[in-house]
Amino acid sequence: MHDIDTLTKIRRRTASSLGFAIAIALVCGSARADELTELRDRLDAQEQKIKVLERKLELEEEAKKAGAASAATVKAGPKGFSLGTADNANVAKLRGVLHFDGRRYFDDVTPSTADTFLLRRVRPTLEGTLNGIFDYRFTPDFAGGRTIILDAFVAARLAPWATVTAGKFKVPVGLERIVSATDMRFIERGFPTSLLPNRDLGVQLSGNLAGGAASYSIGYFNGVSDGGSSDASGDVQNDTSGDWAARIFFTPFQSSNRYALRGLGFGIAGTYVDSTGSTATTLLPSYRTPGQQTFFSYRGTSGDVLGTYADGERIRITPQAYYTNGSFLALGEYARVSQDVTRVTPTSGTRSASLDHSAWQIQLAWFATGEEQSIRGFKPNSVFSPKDGTWGAWELAARYHELDIDDDAFEGGADSFANPATAASKARAWGVGVNWYLNQNYKWSLNYEVTRFDGGAATGDREDEKALLTRFAVGF
Amino acid sequence: MKFSLSAVIATLALAGFSAGALAKDVSLLNVSYDPTRELYEDYNKVFAKYWKEKTGDTVTIKQSHGGSGKQARTVIDGLAADVVTLALAGDIDAIATNAKSIPQNWQSRLPHNSSPYTSTIVFLVRKGNPKGIKDWGDLVKPGIAVITPNPKTSGGARWNYLAAWAWALRQPGGNEATAKAFVQKLYKNVPVLDTGARGSTTTFVQRGIGDVLLAWENEAYLSIRELGPDKVDIVYPSLSILAEPPVTVVDKVVLRRGTREVATEYLKFLYTPEAQEIIARNYYRPTDEKVAAKYARQFPKLELVTIEDFGGWAHVQKIHFADKGVFDQITAN
Repeated sequence: MHDIDTLTKIRRRTASSLGFAIAIALVCGSARADELTELRDRLDAQEQKIKVLERKLELEEEAKKAGAASAATVKAGPKGFSLGTADNANVAKLRGVLHFDGRRYFDDVTPSTADTFLLRRVRPTLEGTLNGIFDYRFTPDFAGGRTIILDAFVAARLAPWATVTAGKFKVPVGLERIVSATDMRFIERGFPTSLLPNRDLGVQLSGNLAGGAASYSIGYFNGVSDGGSSDASGDVQNDTSGDWAARIFFTPFQSSNRYALRGLGFGIAGTYVDSTGSTATTLLPSYRTPGQQTFFSYRGTSGDVLGTYADGERIRITPQAYYTNGSFLALGEYARVSQDVTRVTPTSGTRSASLDHSAWQIQLAWFATGEEQSIRGFKPNSVFSPKDGTWGAWELAARYHELDIDDDAFEGGADSFANPATAASKARAWGVGVNWYLNQNYKWSLNYEVTRFDGGAATGDREDEKALLTRFAVGF
Repeated sequence: MKFSLSAVIATLALAGFSAGALAKDVSLLNVSYDPTRELYEDYNKVFAKYWKEKTGDTVTIKQSHGGSGKQARTVIDGLAADVVTLALAGDIDAIATNAKSIPQNWQSRLPHNSSPYTSTIVFLVRKGNPKGIKDWGDLVKPGIAVITPNPKTSGGARWNYLAAWAWALRQPGGNEATAKAFVQKLYKNVPVLDTGARGSTTTFVQRGIGDVLLAWENEAYLSIRELGPDKVDIVYPSLSILAEPPVTVVDKVVLRRGTREVATEYLKFLYTPEAQEIIARNYYRPTDEKVAAKYARQFPKLELVTIEDFGGWAHVQKIHFADKGVFDQITAN
């Protein structure tokens, strides 16, 4: 009996202990479950926060990308100053060219007043692109104490093979003319350029073909005399017909594995017009030496003596080529102009003729400091910095060029189209030069040119011109 | 008059040849708001087929999508849209006023105020609605994250905002001040403001952010179709707003591009039964009564306010969404 009671008591105690333990466990478990739920909720909240942050970053990136197209970027550097959108679809650039020249003559024929300093080019340029395909350029020139509009055009790049340009710009005919003034190896361009047009007003279609291995241009312009620009006539049409101008140029090896030929370019260009001038507006050129002294002009009107004027066709043709290989450059150009002229002579009545003038040049240049040659701009390997022991780039240049006037221009004595006593029938020049590129934008040039003449003097030949030319040039 | 068979054949051949010879390729740009991608993908195929059969011409429709306000600004800035199909009339009014490329009376040129379809604003919640969101008032509770786009850029967001405002006005003691306070509290619960409705859908559905998405009705159904019915649920609030996305031809552009005829027909075709079916299948409420009746079960009836209850878009834009308007004030901090 006593054992049964004890057992019961033990059972009861065990049961109540067990029950108490279960209750404790349940309370603790519930608390843990609450704690787990709270932890889970906090984890979810943290995850949401992270997701929110990631999404905000994502949206910021999207907004940045969308804004990039219209965001403005400002750049300043060796190529000038520009303001444009990040995608370069809309850009305005400010560039400039300043050429300060010095001329000194060591011959007896050039007057001492020709020794001079002068501002040869003072050209700020505003150019840019709109909507990715419409280019524009505006360049005035303030040199020589006058203001002219040098370039003012718009060009629509409709396709790689089709760019339409309208306005005033370089007639793309002469090879050396096409080379920018900042990239010229000599201070003044050679004789072939004297026979070819400079800048004119017109419309042109041009483009690249065969992946850039060829380029062409064809245009219709007001027409300018040899070497001339339209600002000479106030930028208006001054003759009875416009000029057609066309050019095709090949650089077939530019991407070739034949590295030695990669720098070869050749082509041909020409112009045609059938136009009539007058004794007041002759439409005829004068030709100048490398020292910029006139050595040939047609007879002008003086009192009752009438001068020569253009009367009929003017056909120009110019095969051209260049070659670069490493530090070496060669440029060759031939130009021929066939000009119909008329003169009401003092004794022989009206005379007409077709005069063929021609010019050619071969130009060589070499970077003594090892830079890679290019027909269009380059970057010196080092800039001029004495404290760093660097001296910029040094380039040596040499050229030979000739201009030959048709002998028929001088036939007829007093009735001739040009006066042999004052106009030379031929000019031959050789020149040497050195270009010191202090950096990509600043260049100092020194040229020495000797020009010999056939005729051009009352007796015998005009005396040689010996010209020392210097230039301090800034271009950006 | 005897008809020569060969003459008939020759004439038909000539007509066919002429049509073929004269058949041209024409393209249209449809600048639309964010969630209409699927709708116009389906619609454009049908319209192109119709136009080809009618005229022989091949029409290619290019689409641009984005927040309605943003899209309007892009058109004002010069994007050459032949047609605009935006989220609200106010955005098209802005084009008419600023770009002057659409006449001021544009909305009267097509039926139903130039809205071939309508929609409304609903709630898209997680499956099972774990946060128990039933109506607008639940959106301002602590711990509720609401996803809605930015009313400055998104047309849908403006409908959302106005629907919330309308609900708050209807509450006991509701007035402009309480409505403003309510909407302010709501936007305090918005962690991310996308630029457009589709962006908000991405945020909620793909990125898993938020407890409720204030969505175009069609976006909500599209989400279910994309994710599956086991991921999200649609909750219809007690009150919403009748959203009337309008469409119009951009006169200056079609005149310049010579696309007036095809652009006008492109929009008129939206009202045809065939197009209205496409509209309904893409979860927009069709305006054609017969098609609407056919899809009635898809679109529950609910109490809807309209923009006219707010005084029109010009008034709403000026008061609420212009710079320094009510939206700027309530989100200033």
